[in-house]
Amino acid sequence: MVTMKAVVLRGAGQVEVVEGARPQPGPGEALIRVGYCGICGSDLEAFQTGMYEAGLVIGHEFAGTIAALGPGTAGWQVGDRVVASDAIPCYECGPCREGRLDACQALTMVGVTHDGALAEYVCMPVRGLHRLPPAVSLRQGALAEPLAVALNAVRRSRLRIGDRALVMGAGPIGLLTLQSALVAGARMVAVTEVEPARAAVARRLGATAVLDPARENVGVALASLTDGLGPDVVYVCTGAPEPFRDAISLVRKGGQVFVVGLCVAPVEADLMSVAMGDLCIEGSLAGRATFPAAVDLIAQRRVDVEALVSHEISLDEVPAAFAWLTAGGSGAVKVLARIGGEA
Amino acid sequence: MKLASLDYMEEVKRRSNADAAYLELAKGNNESYTLVLEAEPAQGVMETIIVGFDNVDGKLDQVWLGQRPTQFTLSAPYGVWVDILRGKMGATKAITMRKLRTQGPFLQLLQGANRILRWVEILRTIPTEFEGSYAQYNLKGQA
Repeated sequence: MVTMKAVVLRGAGQVEVVEGARPQPGPGEALIRVGYCGICGSDLEAFQTGMYEAGLVIGHEFAGTIAALGPGTAGWQVGDRVVASDAIPCYECGPCREGRLDACQALTMVGVTHDGALAEYVCMPVRGLHRLPPAVSLRQGALAEPLAVALNAVRRSRLRIGDRALVMGAGPIGLLTLQSALVAGARMVAVTEVEPARAAVARRLGATAVLDPARENVGVALASLTDGLGPDVVYVCTGAPEPFRDAISLVRKGGQVFVVGLCVAPVEADLMSVAMGDLCIEGSLAGRATFPAAVDLIAQRRVDVEALVSHEISLDEVPAAFAWLTAGGSGAVKVLARIGGEA
Repeated sequence: MKLASLDYMEEVKRRSNADAAYLELAKGNNESYTLVLEAEPAQGVMETIIVGFDNVDGKLDQVWLGQRPTQFTLSAPYGVWVDILRGKMGATKAITMRKLRTQGPFLQLLQGANRILRWVEILRTIPTEFEGSYAQYNLKGQA
């Protein structure tokens, strides 16, 4: 048996590196040698709650090189440098037939329902692969997935050129949403963040203002930035419940609250303000359709993904990283596991 | 005393905490508020004034000048606050008509309507000087 190392979720608070069987590509699949794989907030949620099936190989933000191909994969070559959409649609249901693949009724996800990429190898359907141009390293490519999520959110939102936006939370998704909103033509993007290291990155990446909700009145600050109106769109990019509640009172009348972050805890919502404020609340998952744009924007250096990478670790260090990332106060932004590297 | 000065806020605290009717209505309330009195240069109100306070079981605890994170933020042009204090506009009507813009759980705020109305009655008893052209409406107040 050919083996490989992989990070396996055993249950709440339990991940470990194991030596297991290397997967074999089936029809329509590629075996990818993983170069880099990021640790996502949803991976940490799974670690804390044990919400995925025990024994699953986690990880879905990755880039790598095709090592082998199954039958029915014409057009792909061993050695191709690729990123992959983590969302795997069925292509058969109503939304899929309408082209709304992210709304697939039978959507599965690598690292969530299938074995993922915090491993030396992962199998993926070639229909979800995207080639990386020479200008994009595998390290940068590993951030194409969260960028695709952010681009999808901004594209799906009501943001228009010249609008003003608020991004709540300067984690990786928030920082990429900030940059996506600026690329989309927002004239002002403010960010809320309590963690100083993340706030500093938001400033470097072009945030008009970075507000600390633990220290200042965000509503008062936003009023001065928006002529008293409030932002046109508020992107909620955190996993904490408080920002979801606050977003409704911060957005301008007739504006939109767009939910990108995954909050496991119940959120107390002031829906009366939604009606009285003529507000729209919408959300999005994944970003399959925006992967090509994500790759190109990284290649064109119009979105800086390197600025997000605060830590690069080995696969063996992943379990320890899960522990210190969930302990709080780590100051980390994006932690990347270097697995096969650029080779 | 000047509206929304620190002396004024201390007097608001003193009178509120001495008012049995208000304390009964406010019992159990632990909310914090920021009040923003927006500048109106055309009326001679040159600077926006921001004050805040919090409640501990209905009693005003801390009062302050400037902004801090609070559960509620109520904002309006200076003249709207003057109208409320003069009795020209009801406080809850100002909230529902969005003359007084609110940030925070709206329903929770309105559920405390009786408390707010009593509180405004207390504020009207404070001798109050207004800024700019609103000085003509200064409140004589009561001891």
